Amino acid sequence: MPEISFPYRHIKVPPSAAHPDGQTLRNPKTVATLTASNGKTLRVFVLLDTGADACCFPLTYALLLGIDVLSLPTEMTGGIGSMANVTYYDTVQIDLGRGVAFTAKVAFMEGMNMHAMGLLGQDGFFSNFDVHFSHKSSTFTIMTP
Amino acid sequence: MATAILDTSALLTGIPAGAWVAISEKLNKVLAWGADPQEVLVEARGKGEDSPLITRVPDRQSMAMFF
Repeated sequence: MPEISFPYRHIKVPPSAAHPDGQTLRNPKTVATLTASNGKTLRVFVLLDTGADACCFPLTYALLLGIDVLSLPTEMTGGIGSMANVTYYDTVQIDLGRGVAFTAKVAFMEGMNMHAMGLLGQDGFFSNFDVHFSHKSSTFTIMTP
Repeated sequence: MATAILDTSALLTGIPAGAWVAISEKLNKVLAWGADPQEVLVEARGKGEDSPLITRVPDRQSMAMFF
């Protein structure tokens, strides 16, 4: 089974009262290309999130992909610090490069706009790939089928 | 094996928090930024970049996250 390793993303955070020396955040985040059913594509950051039930993205990304969000099925969902989020669902292709690509029904929600990145969650991503995380070496490794 | 740490934070220095940013395919250059992500993408593609990466400058209050 081929193993594809990706580097973590490091983010320097300025000092605060809680962290007077600042922080360096290390996240399993990489770049993905989204392709909508209309063929339009968009390159974005994605975070591998084992706690997310599905893959989800900012609602703005659906608009940038030319998706008619008002025609999509919806449901209410919740997250940390939020509930009853209107969530739109559509099927898109997600390509991380280096042979790691899949198609999934993904959620689009306005509350993700401030974060400007997608979450690769259980349904669609972890249901297709086994992943090994190494915070110490700042890499994650995806086992492709 | 992974070859490099992905760190684009230095690229975003000086751009206001909340702004949408288009970054070059090699992640080494900001092509355009502004309040409207569609306009940012159009400007970036106008500079010859077919597949710019779209992101947003994080606010200090949303840099550490608990999803």
